[in-house]
Amino acid sequence: MNHQALKNIICVRPLAGVIAVILLCFSQVFAIPPRPEAIEFQPLEYTPPRAADFRRMLSDGTIVYVAESHEFPLVNVSITFKGGGSLDPAATPGLASVMARMVREGGAGDMSPAMFDETLDFLATEMSVSAGNTFTTARMNSLSGNLDESLQLFVTMLRKPAFEKQRLEVVKARLLESLKQRNDNASSILAREWKAMLYGRNHFEASQPTASSVEAISREQLEAIHRQIIHPGNMIVAVSGDFAVEEMLEKLTEAFQGWERGAVAPDPKMPEAVLVPGLYHVQKEIPQGKVVLGKRGIVRDDPDAIPLLLLNEILGAGGFTSRLMQKVRSNEGLAYSVRSILSQRINYPGAFQATFESKNPTVALATKIVLGEIALIRQQPVTDEEIEVAKQGLIETFPRQFESKPTTLQVFVNDEWTNRPKDYWQTFREKVRSVTKDDLLRVAKKHLDPSQMAILVVGDWEAIASGDLEGRATMKEFFGGEVKHLPLRDPLTLEPLPLD
Amino acid sequence: MRLQVFFRLVVLVVIFGFADMVSAQKVSVEEFTLPNGMQFLLVPRTDQPNVVSAGWVARVGSVNERPGITGISHFFEHMMFKGTNTIGTRNPDKDRTFRVEQKKVRDQMNQLVLSEQYERYRNGEIDDPWDSVNDTPRLKSLRTKLDTLIRAQQGRGKAGPATATIVKDEFDQVYTKAGGSGMNAFTSYDLTCYFITVPSNKLELWAWMESDRLNDSVFREFYSERDVVHEERRLRTDSTPTGRFQEQFNSMFWASCGYAWPVIGWPSDLNSYTFEQAQVYWNTYYRPGNLFGVVVGDFDPKQAKRYIKQYFSRLDPGSNKLPPVVTLEVEQLAEQRMNAIGDFPPTIEIRYHTVPAGHVDSYPLDMLAEVLNERTGRLYTTMVEGRGIAATASASSDTRKYAGLFSFDGMTRGDAVPEQLEQAWYEELAKLQTEDLSERELRKVKNRVAASNYRRLENNMSLLIQLAFSEALLDWEEINEGPAKYEAVTADDIKRVANKYFKETNRSVAIYRRSMEQVTAKEAGK
Repeated sequence: MNHQALKNIICVRPLAGVIAVILLCFSQVFAIPPRPEAIEFQPLEYTPPRAADFRRMLSDGTIVYVAESHEFPLVNVSITFKGGGSLDPAATPGLASVMARMVREGGAGDMSPAMFDETLDFLATEMSVSAGNTFTTARMNSLSGNLDESLQLFVTMLRKPAFEKQRLEVVKARLLESLKQRNDNASSILAREWKAMLYGRNHFEASQPTASSVEAISREQLEAIHRQIIHPGNMIVAVSGDFAVEEMLEKLTEAFQGWERGAVAPDPKMPEAVLVPGLYHVQKEIPQGKVVLGKRGIVRDDPDAIPLLLLNEILGAGGFTSRLMQKVRSNEGLAYSVRSILSQRINYPGAFQATFESKNPTVALATKIVLGEIALIRQQPVTDEEIEVAKQGLIETFPRQFESKPTTLQVFVNDEWTNRPKDYWQTFREKVRSVTKDDLLRVAKKHLDPSQMAILVVGDWEAIASGDLEGRATMKEFFGGEVKHLPLRDPLTLEPLPLD
Repeated sequence: MRLQVFFRLVVLVVIFGFADMVSAQKVSVEEFTLPNGMQFLLVPRTDQPNVVSAGWVARVGSVNERPGITGISHFFEHMMFKGTNTIGTRNPDKDRTFRVEQKKVRDQMNQLVLSEQYERYRNGEIDDPWDSVNDTPRLKSLRTKLDTLIRAQQGRGKAGPATATIVKDEFDQVYTKAGGSGMNAFTSYDLTCYFITVPSNKLELWAWMESDRLNDSVFREFYSERDVVHEERRLRTDSTPTGRFQEQFNSMFWASCGYAWPVIGWPSDLNSYTFEQAQVYWNTYYRPGNLFGVVVGDFDPKQAKRYIKQYFSRLDPGSNKLPPVVTLEVEQLAEQRMNAIGDFPPTIEIRYHTVPAGHVDSYPLDMLAEVLNERTGRLYTTMVEGRGIAATASASSDTRKYAGLFSFDGMTRGDAVPEQLEQAWYEELAKLQTEDLSERELRKVKNRVAASNYRRLENNMSLLIQLAFSEALLDWEEINEGPAKYEAVTADDIKRVANKYFKETNRSVAIYRRSMEQVTAKEAGK
């Protein structure tokens, strides 16, 4: 068929094309290997970068990771401060996050918010500040031609935020509008309730602002948490882009001059809650049920972390090559997305969880299959092919951890803040290679015990509970059919609403 | 006083900096076309070492469909991961037999549904002719037969794994093992794009895998995969608060052209695709003359060209003519409105018909959106901050291959109602239609547009996607020529397009609110 087609080309193409086509016929006959495994690849030597090669210290003691890169006339500055939601006062969840927004939006030094924004826009300099759970990050991206002005504005914004009153009202109002939408989307209900089950409603992983806690946020509170987080004693800097290193270090030294150093922020507190195994449900009338099931997991530096990473790839994190995707999506067509997630924390255990969604009648069937796969991977060793694919995948994609200068530096900043073992990246591939099928079986038995897991379903219970038409599964199969119906919560007060 | 000086200094630096930058923006692309018609764009660069992002585009999307096969472009995107006679099966002949058997059964089912079940539907006996709960006994037995065949093919039937001819998701396994990451594809109105990032030494593997599936896709799991697409539809559209409303608004907005149906397709069509329809579609749109490849990253262009010639030349150019997209959007004659009630905050969207990508007015329209957007834009300063009636407000200009639209979106704040945002929007428009933009405001927006055009090129994958869209809609050169066109837009141009397109008769308004708030709004109106 192809040769026939090539003849057709010869008829209509000019002579140059004819020659090309003839040559290509040859290459086709001789050079296309029958299967991809038959291709021989050039070896790709890769040595991960070392933090020490990029790490510098300013005269005031500030740590800076710095790298030149001249392909684009742009400069990236990123400052990572310790602490975020972890430092919110109990009565004011979300304070660090509002502070971060207000640092960016509330004006700087003696410039009004509007004038500050206008100046940045005119320079086409981008700045952002955001608070996560345990770190707060400030970023700047400027054209190298505007670096001096931009850097001056950036540091002024961080050191002397104006927290202007009217902007605070706007930020609060926007937050309030987003609170009102809390119950609109089933996925956000699922995420909120699951975190509360895992970590407890009062831990910063799960705590949520209410309308009244947002209203009560004052300028004084913003200033207090700003003093605690945003200062040189609590930050590590990363700079990459179009500049000369020594010159950049001088500029930073000058910009930070006279900026008072406070104490390093404290470590985040441990969650106190314990996940109670069982079947849980929140009512929402939609044609598709959303499910998460799982348990508390491990800390990042757990000795089982690498075998668990591989196990998770095989079970549900490896996309289409994972068992959950094959069984639930490819074989049965029960879900569009299904995956397992191993989330790690530094100071306290993270979580292992599987999530998926399915049309109401097949929620039970999909749940049964997912739990079945978890049980299976604890009973039988994985296949040689599975562990090989998972290992090769991790090893071959390893260089992507350091794919650009900004990502490389950010890895080093995070590692320094979290005291990651110094040889972690240098020995990573070797550690992956040395994992055995027995290791995987052992960690599966140890860490994925289904009797410690909870199942949370958000959806229309009546349509979900009785299961599929063919009778392959109902929700009665889990925890003896005993379901705890959790109340939806008032979007503004988070008080439980009456169960229907 | 200090600030004024500061500003002046800044202006000097910036104007110099930007004029420089606009002229400096050159992505050097090596372009060539194989004798079979497949075009390639190569962009070697080393800022991200050891990796290459590679992809290819079929110049086809939902706009090329018609009622009855809506969503087939997107369905194809799913099919392309299901393998060939080499990948995805351990016994290609037996696997083909399974597929032929499945087709026979499914064709009978389709025929029954479209005749008997559709008639029962028209008579009011059943509410959904495709839903298996409404199956007649004959249909039910056919469905069981089809399911048995599918299970046997997968090795999940009564006879156990021995009957399996499928190697599940082998396509993904080969890439994963080789260090491929971010493998995915997307379908839009005008194009379908398949892409991945591979280690630099695996470019030959990419050429092998992609040319294999373009040469020899067999549409394995043609029938079972539509359950997955139904779940995707439920996830994206049916189970989100605004999904189905937005779909309806879209269909109301476009009267005649092919943007009126959703990319994912109408549910009835999704059930009905036949193998013959798929084959015609494949032979028409997935021919090398309608495809182009894009490779961006750390690679040797000579070697890349060799691989591309070696592998992609096996694609058959085919003989099907590309059917042109004929139907143009008709002129809208009167305002259209939609009032939606559900679980969403009070919001408003106002849309206007504009122009296709590359149209001379598309540049001032894009700039106009930028004048309105961002924290220093007019919408934020007047609606969010000034009057405090909006929590968010934004504008966007969406120019596609055959038509375009401009939209305003706003979410209310506090007790404000969507009608207040609507009024405020008309007032903003009136200002744009009657007053000239100041030089400074225009300069600011141009600076921002130039810088963001630039930033988008930093990352390999993001450049690949930019090139894919530019080439599919216009010409890849637009990536280098566009910035100068934006730089050339004048205040007069912006005023002119503001007057030309933003007319009452050319607009469609969607208002979303919660049921409770509707009551309040009515009371407020009394």
